[in-house]
Amino acid sequence: MLAQNTDKVNIDFLKDLSGVKNADDLEQIRIKYLGRNGVISKLFNQLKHVAIEDKPALGKNLNLLRSEVTSQIEKLKSSFVSQKSKGDLQMDLTLPGKKYQIGSKHILTQTLDEIKSIFKEMGFSVHVGPELESDYNNFEALNFPKNHPARDMQDTFFISKDFLLRTHTSPVQIRLMENMKPPVRAIMPGRVYRNEAVSARSFCMFHQVEGLYVDTDVTFAELKGTLVSFASQFYGEDLKYRFRPSYFPFTEPSAEMDITCFICKGSGCKICKNTGWMEILGCGMVDPNVFENVNYDPEKYTGYAFGMGIERIAMLKYGITDIRIFFENDIRFLKQF
Amino acid sequence: MKISLNWLKEYIDLEGISIQDIINKLTMSGLEVEDFVNQNEKFKNFIVGYVEENEKHPNADKLTICKVTDGKKSYQVICGAPNVQKGQKVVYAPIGTIIPKGNFEIKKAKIRGVESFGMICAEDELGLGDDYTGIMVLDSNLKVGQKLSDALELNNVIMEIAITPNRPDALSHIGVARDLTALFDKELKIPEVKLNESDIDINDVASIVIEDEENCPRYSARVVTDVKIEESPGWLKQRISGIGLKPVNNIVDITNFVMFECGQPLHAFDLDRLEGKKIIVKSTKGKTKFTTLDSKERELLPDTLMICDDKGDVAIAGIMGGENSEIYQDTKNVLIESAYFNPSSIRRASKHLQMSTDASYRFERGTDPGNTLYAAERTAQLIAKIAGGEIAKGSIDVYPKKIDNKKFILRHNRVNKVLGYKISKQHTLKIFNRLGMKTTELSEDEIEVTVPTFRVDIEREIDLIEEIARISGYDNIPTIPKISISLGLKHDETLFTDRIREYCNALGLYELINNPLQPKHFAALTGNAIEVSNPQSIDMKYLRTSLLSGVLNVVTRNLNRGEKNLALFEIGNIFNLKKGKKVVSSFNDFDEEEILIFVLTGNKIEREWYSDTESFNFYDIKGMVNSFIDKISLDNLLNDSYYTTDNSIYEYYLTKFFKDRVIGNGGKVKDHVLKQFDIDQDVYCFEFNLDALKEIPVVSKKYAELLRYPRIILDFAFIFDKETKFEDVSEFIKNKGSKLLKYVNVFDIFESKEIGDNKKSIAFQLEYYDSSRTLTENEVEKDFENLIKLVSKKFNAKLRGN
Repeated sequence: MLAQNTDKVNIDFLKDLSGVKNADDLEQIRIKYLGRNGVISKLFNQLKHVAIEDKPALGKNLNLLRSEVTSQIEKLKSSFVSQKSKGDLQMDLTLPGKKYQIGSKHILTQTLDEIKSIFKEMGFSVHVGPELESDYNNFEALNFPKNHPARDMQDTFFISKDFLLRTHTSPVQIRLMENMKPPVRAIMPGRVYRNEAVSARSFCMFHQVEGLYVDTDVTFAELKGTLVSFASQFYGEDLKYRFRPSYFPFTEPSAEMDITCFICKGSGCKICKNTGWMEILGCGMVDPNVFENVNYDPEKYTGYAFGMGIERIAMLKYGITDIRIFFENDIRFLKQF
Repeated sequence: MKISLNWLKEYIDLEGISIQDIINKLTMSGLEVEDFVNQNEKFKNFIVGYVEENEKHPNADKLTICKVTDGKKSYQVICGAPNVQKGQKVVYAPIGTIIPKGNFEIKKAKIRGVESFGMICAEDELGLGDDYTGIMVLDSNLKVGQKLSDALELNNVIMEIAITPNRPDALSHIGVARDLTALFDKELKIPEVKLNESDIDINDVASIVIEDEENCPRYSARVVTDVKIEESPGWLKQRISGIGLKPVNNIVDITNFVMFECGQPLHAFDLDRLEGKKIIVKSTKGKTKFTTLDSKERELLPDTLMICDDKGDVAIAGIMGGENSEIYQDTKNVLIESAYFNPSSIRRASKHLQMSTDASYRFERGTDPGNTLYAAERTAQLIAKIAGGEIAKGSIDVYPKKIDNKKFILRHNRVNKVLGYKISKQHTLKIFNRLGMKTTELSEDEIEVTVPTFRVDIEREIDLIEEIARISGYDNIPTIPKISISLGLKHDETLFTDRIREYCNALGLYELINNPLQPKHFAALTGNAIEVSNPQSIDMKYLRTSLLSGVLNVVTRNLNRGEKNLALFEIGNIFNLKKGKKVVSSFNDFDEEEILIFVLTGNKIEREWYSDTESFNFYDIKGMVNSFIDKISLDNLLNDSYYTTDNSIYEYYLTKFFKDRVIGNGGKVKDHVLKQFDIDQDVYCFEFNLDALKEIPVVSKKYAELLRYPRIILDFAFIFDKETKFEDVSEFIKNKGSKLLKYVNVFDIFESKEIGDNKKSIAFQLEYYDSSRTLTENEVEKDFENLIKLVSKKFNAKLRGN
């Protein structure tokens, strides 16, 4: 009984559908078959009167019918709509698309991300530390004694006698080594502060990435290898470089790494002070005094550390000549990257 | 520090070595040559000219038309200097010459109608002095047409070397020469001192007492009597001015010369002005005042090391002498001070006084305690030679505890372990010997190295390894292009904030980075601000207590530049003193927290062909916050509270809680706050405490079976009293509806005259389903009808007819 009704409804529907001429006709058909008191609803109501063993098959048929009817109606409906738009409006595909805004990370964040991904692939972890630091972590543990001229290398904002705004990310090295045993291999990005007059070339706040690798057989030769690999991934394969002796209290021996000035390609210009070289980072072998301060055995372990300024790198890479623009946050600047 | 190549050549034979080679080697061994001036190059075009004629310019009062000859040809040159005269020998710059001051090229010119071919130069234009009042008049004995560099022996190279703080031994010409001897394998030649002493015994005319032996371990002195204070001879003036010092008089110039020769700072006292002809070295007890020789009165800290005579203070030790004992025109007898002071004592005083002199710069880095007597005698020798006078017999050398040379053991294997390459023993020994260190081989692996007192930086084996590395060259250390694998756990503590940045970008927000240093009125707006004790300016005296004031300032700046539509975020640290704390003396006295802030202002959509202008409002920021929370999987863990009454920052706002803890907070910024920032459009902000957010344990995601049965969607609309809250109704519906009701959403809301004043219509959409079966219309219908009744009753609402 119900099965036959189902077939009949299907045939009636197809007949009705063939007579549809416009969207209004279609809506009438939709109400007739799919409305709350429509033909198909009624069929569903009959379902409760059929024998229990027939229910699954009949139910399935009814659902099929409903979805078939629904899809036929929808299909016809969309054809009416597209006919209509063809008739009413010749679409102008040259109109601009609707605007969608994807934000962006600050260019300094993007630069750091690039640096981070290179070192992460080499097996470095990433750690962070606080900006308001103790004098001990920022200086003393790193082998800058009180009243030592080396402190002049980093003009400091003091908060109190024993607290300051960290002048470099190196105190994170101390925090890390105090909390774990070797091997330690990590980079440590963060914000640092220097009490220097603000100008186009320097700002009182900037960002650094610190690197540290300590194990039983880490050598200066590996330090060079790691940094050369980093620099050629970051600056380009055909890079020329040199390591120049320098001085940092927490490394011994210490070095600065220069690469060919990419403004003048080494022929000498104002930016590289006619040397043809551009300094990109400081590095060295971890000083034994630092190891002693964190209770590592300096006879057993050796290690290297390095650090670079992110603003400087971004300025060179993107041709930015005034460091202050990073922190003005002019939306036109932020949207460029 | 400026180093003169000609001066260096007195201590090392650099014959046949190019300037570029010297500069490279110095730079590559740690004495970085930052800049250099090759005078040969700089003065190559200038020649000695002769003024044959001069007459007044017809069209200008102050100009003169001169005829200058280079010996072969005469040139017409217009000159503006008042002192130009016929018959003078002058510095003539022909056409094409580059003038050092201003770095411009001389071209043929017409000055007030008269042609000029070249220029007659003044001292300052050449960079040879400060005089700009007139042209430089040369010695009449010079040959006309000669190159200026030959005539004045301007064939020097002046290098600007950056000496790192660990290398005070290199703050002199002998010091730099010593490194060069190691780099080029040459001998170091230190000037020999032989003195002709008079019969006057120094002990009869002067005495010295050190009361503070800790801060003054050694004090050496020499006395020269009957000197004549005069201008220095040409060679000395040239040496001194070549490295940028101003010649003063022969005595002062000699002390400067010896300091830049061997690194030992010296001071010359007028012996007759020293009360009791006595020097006492002691530290101040309380606060003291003292007038230095630059005629400034200075306040000294207690425990400042002073040089005194019988009556009182005569010099701040190691920093500057006093007015009362300085050399003056009639000085006859001179006491030469050559001392070794404790570096940290000098640094403390010089920091406090904010005085850095050539002497203090060296003392605070560490001078050579072993060289004081040599320097005093070298000075005495030069004074006797240049300023006349006689050297009193003997010296005074108070040196209570001799400071010995240090000895360290170097293991060749350790060198290899640190540097990663082997260097020959022979080469190692040569490096040390050239640097003035004695070596003794102890075993196959070990040598003992004796380090002289001038190398204050060498205190351990590792410091010796550095010497080997830097002298043999870092370039010789291999570059190993591999890194050993470590299988330990890798961490990335920035992963969470990286993810957050991605989500913020997806929400259409741009990242900004602000300076956390702020003026007081910004920082005090939102917390208990921490003060910087030595700020750069009052605009950067405090640390931010929230990100809000910083971003509002960014809004202001953009508005001023005509950028009115902003959707931004910032992630950064804020700093607050804890309650009841006044100063930071431990990490427990303050909080440093990482914060995320969203900022929306202006239009979300500008007028477009497909849309009208739409400005940001509260529901934008709320929506972003909730999408964000959803994305970091905390959507079911946080509770919301809404406040329509204002707090100090927001007119109305939303707070997110985790249990009792506030995780985030934000809404519409109050007008009076915006006014402080000169902002005249609505701003919406929301701040999240990321540290708090990170601590919430996230329930890890599990796959939820996708729905395979149809959903039934029904809707109804009611007219409510205006004050009825959407959430109260939706919660009510969720609670009262059957288990099959899974989702309630609002899809329309409006007010109008027709539905009555103080009324509003809210239309809801209800979604029913069961994950295990198909629902019947009946069961849904029943629940739906029931809800209509319950909502009508509970909220005194009227169902709207269709």
